[in-house]
Amino acid sequence: MIAEIEALASAALSRIAAAANLDEMEAVRVEVLGRKGTLAEFGKLMGKLSASERVDAGKALNGAKTSLEAAFDIKKTAFESAALNERLQSEWLDLTIPPPGLTPGSLHPLTQIQNEIESLFFSMGFTILDGPEVETEFHNFDALNIPADHPARDMQDTFWLEGGHLLRTHTSPVQVRGMMRLGPPLRMIAPGRVFRNEEVDPSHEHTFYQLEGMMVDRDVSIANLLYFMKTLLSGIFKRDTTVRLRPGFFPFVEPGFELDIECMVCGGAGCPVCKQSGWVELLPCGLVHPNVLRAGGIDPAEFGGFAFGLGLTRLVMMRYLIDDIRWLQSGDLRFLKQF
Amino acid sequence: MKFSYQWLSELVEDLDIDAKEVSRRITLHTAESEGVEPHGALWAGACPATVLSAEPIPNSHNVKAEVETAAYGRKTVACGAPNCRSGLRTVYVPLGVKKVSGIDSDGMLASMAELGINADHDGIIELTEDIALETDSIIEIDNKSLTHRPDLWGHYGMARELAAILNKPLVDPVSLELLPQGPPQVEVIVEDLALCPRFSAQLFENVTVGDAPVWLQYRLRAIGLNSIGNIVDVTNWLLAELPQPTHAYDADKVQGAIVVRKAKAGEKILALNGEEYSLTIDDLIIADSSGPIGIAGVIGGKGSSIGPETKRIILEAANFNAAAVRKTSSRLKLRTDASMRFEKAQDPENTLRAIARGAELFELVSPGIRSLGGPTDVRAAVKPLPVIDLDFDWLNRKLGRVVEKSEVIGILERLSFTVQGNKVTVPSWRATKDVSIADDLVEEIGRMVGYATIAPIAPAMPVVPPPVNEERLFFNRLRASATQQGFDEVYNYSFISEAQAAKLGISLEAHIRVLNPIASDQSLMRTTLLHGALKNFEDNRRHFGTFRFFEIGKEIHKKSKGLPEEVPHLVAGVYNGHGDGAEGLRELERLMRGYAPACEFRPTDTAHPFEHPLRSAEVWLAAEQIGRLFEFHPNWVEGRAAVLDIDLDKLARLSAGAIRYQPIRRFPASEFDLSILTEPRVPAGTVEAILRAAATTATEKIEFIRDFTLPDGHRSLSFRATVANRERTMTQEEINAERERMIAAISAAGMKLR
Ligand SMILES: [Zn+2]
Repeated sequence: MIAEIEALASAALSRIAAAANLDEMEAVRVEVLGRKGTLAEFGKLMGKLSASERVDAGKALNGAKTSLEAAFDIKKTAFESAALNERLQSEWLDLTIPPPGLTPGSLHPLTQIQNEIESLFFSMGFTILDGPEVETEFHNFDALNIPADHPARDMQDTFWLEGGHLLRTHTSPVQVRGMMRLGPPLRMIAPGRVFRNEEVDPSHEHTFYQLEGMMVDRDVSIANLLYFMKTLLSGIFKRDTTVRLRPGFFPFVEPGFELDIECMVCGGAGCPVCKQSGWVELLPCGLVHPNVLRAGGIDPAEFGGFAFGLGLTRLVMMRYLIDDIRWLQSGDLRFLKQF
Repeated sequence: MKFSYQWLSELVEDLDIDAKEVSRRITLHTAESEGVEPHGALWAGACPATVLSAEPIPNSHNVKAEVETAAYGRKTVACGAPNCRSGLRTVYVPLGVKKVSGIDSDGMLASMAELGINADHDGIIELTEDIALETDSIIEIDNKSLTHRPDLWGHYGMARELAAILNKPLVDPVSLELLPQGPPQVEVIVEDLALCPRFSAQLFENVTVGDAPVWLQYRLRAIGLNSIGNIVDVTNWLLAELPQPTHAYDADKVQGAIVVRKAKAGEKILALNGEEYSLTIDDLIIADSSGPIGIAGVIGGKGSSIGPETKRIILEAANFNAAAVRKTSSRLKLRTDASMRFEKAQDPENTLRAIARGAELFELVSPGIRSLGGPTDVRAAVKPLPVIDLDFDWLNRKLGRVVEKSEVIGILERLSFTVQGNKVTVPSWRATKDVSIADDLVEEIGRMVGYATIAPIAPAMPVVPPPVNEERLFFNRLRASATQQGFDEVYNYSFISEAQAAKLGISLEAHIRVLNPIASDQSLMRTTLLHGALKNFEDNRRHFGTFRFFEIGKEIHKKSKGLPEEVPHLVAGVYNGHGDGAEGLRELERLMRGYAPACEFRPTDTAHPFEHPLRSAEVWLAAEQIGRLFEFHPNWVEGRAAVLDIDLDKLARLSAGAIRYQPIRRFPASEFDLSILTEPRVPAGTVEAILRAAATTATEKIEFIRDFTLPDGHRSLSFRATVANRERTMTQEEINAERERMIAAISAAGMKLR
């Protein structure tokens, strides 16, 4: 019987090896290993054997079963992996074809730079404030130490509106609104749209964006202002920047400065961008004038501060090398889709 | 304001840096220089020369001139000047040999204009005596950076700065001992000493009126002033040097006393520039018994001006109130060299200095001139000079560095402040407007030591998280969502034209008007962002067949009092050149539902003329209308232009509120579908509202599934209701009851189940 079992197993193994596909092999499995298969038939005959024969025959039977199952599994895995492989090989996809459907739109470059700078300031503890675009003469001028007869009013060509109001010529009115709202000590910025009555050409706009910044605390010095501006500009330009202060006149600060940065094109050696001076004028700043602190309800004997104005439109133009300011409010998607 | 390097070097002893370095130092310590330009560049190498012969060149307007030059021997030049003739003494400039009109022309003969003397370029200069001028360098200072410095509108003031920066002695061009002495000869009455704090006048006789000497013309030309004649040029010199504006009257044309008074309404004056000005009672004038002879601080009158026959002159050196001058000059739109200086608040102490300096210069330009008596000097009570308490420690704290007390005092004294203990007295020319508080002195010290000497120091700031600007965060979320859905962000102007307002049928009166618009098509403030959207559609459809854009900006609405209302809005647009337009509107709905899932679109039969009559809907959220969705009427935009316009104040307010989690239901829900047959064009929203109204709390959800329009126009609308009980499984009876309630409501509304 043992010999028969072995002969059967050996024949079955050959048939498994010869099977061309899973179906053929399955037929062998059912025939040999199935519940009514030939091996099961041998199992039924076992009862007729003597005890010692039974042990040997049982071993032979189990051995045959195990080796057939193993052969079967191996072959089955081979078939499956061949099938999978065949599927994969048939599934070439051209991934260079653009996907159907929408491509995301773009944020306006002014929004992008504003967000970037806002988060830089926020990380330094500054509150972000908003102010109205239509302002009172008081907030735009008087509270900023620019009385009605002051020639400084000529520096900013103003759009006047019916009803005695005006379009803010700078974001500085938010200084006074901010001081009133927050009280000292405070750190705030106010980005927004401002207006100047100027003819429009590639480098001048009547509508542009500024960012006002202010810090009020006890004992704020020019040295603090310098440190802060240097840190800020290094953050904005993502590189170490060299800055210098020189006198500048703005009625709402005393002393007032023009802040220049070392020309990034020539590194200070002189080039057409910096008109050979090595420096590029970037922003006005200064220590807050005591009259402005008073207008904001803050006692200048107790608190001082610095303030600055950053031209966001100018920054956008610098960053993206835009040579015509009019693109920014053109609404032209050929331009805007680039950002 | 232009500064002559030569002039400055006469006022700063031993000036040993060149013009470029002067420009740099002034920029760093005083005011912004815009650069250095040469003046009279041709004088380098120029020399006198005599024309020996001048022969016409055939077929040319030039002549061939042989000249004997003082420095280069005999030269042949081509010259186009009509006055080039044999025997003429003129100026030769070596420029090398050039072919001109067929001859080798070696150098040139120069005109007064080319030599920087005046504007005369009608011919070459004719010398009566040899002159040699030197090329000057002109430093141009940005006027804006001089707004607060009345003293820097003249060379003497800038020289003082330079002397202080370089620590060199300053040379005062004025010798007060030259001030004429004797009884005043000019009768002056000042009616308002607040508007005219000082009026000084000096009479001169035996005047010869003629051309100014070349050196004077050259100097004035260098700083951009034109030579008028010897007397007037002296007044311009005083203005450019001291910087005291002055005026010279023909004394024999002034009748009676000089009166400084307010003009009478409608009084007229013919000014020196040939224009007639009509005056108001706010204008201050100089008058004689015949009427106005000058607009105070702005311009003189023609009637009393200097002419060739003038023999006696009155030199006026006065001081006028800055605000009044500014007001008159801006009302008359007449900005003169005088008004620009007066409106910066000039120093009243300067008037007699100008007369002393004027008397000196008159003698140089009009030999034989004599002063008659001494100056008339009418003035308001002298104001004491301001004294500022300066706390030296405080100064150092403001600067953020230590400047030794002795250095502080040295700087202040070089700038003509006087220091006693901690009391600092301001010089008169800085006291009119510029310096009044200790903070002003921080600037004086800071700029003079140089801001470059201050090392950055980190401010000691408390570490506190700043309050969050929720509105900005909200707007940025809207932006992010819009861009994800393919919308590009645009910025449009706040100004619109009357035609734009009319195009959307908005009354002109609803807008705030700009009183001084840049152009007539930018005269109104937008009350809606739709104008910008219309323009964006129009502009971009020329380049794109399909596009999407959005803007977040402010509508500006009139209010009866106070500041106008600025309402942030979002306008989004989808354009399709072709197609039925449905997809554009759907995209905008999707955008809106993303912003506020609970929003509703309610059809409206009150479409605006610019809207597609059957494609407009109101956007509602929590029982408030927050915006509108529509397609532009094809007469407004060709193609399919869909727009969403949302009030962001309302959206922010209504969509705020914390989200509260609902526990996940433990018992299964059941669903049933209802297909309802309606009349044509009944919106699904109407049917859904009926179903919702009929539903009890057992209904969790009613979803639109599909619609279908029958050939006769009737609609079949299918909805799926999900019903459930949070406590247990619903019985079939309960489910049926809910369904029956809905069916009953449908029937009650006159519709049928399909
Ligand atoms: Zn450069």
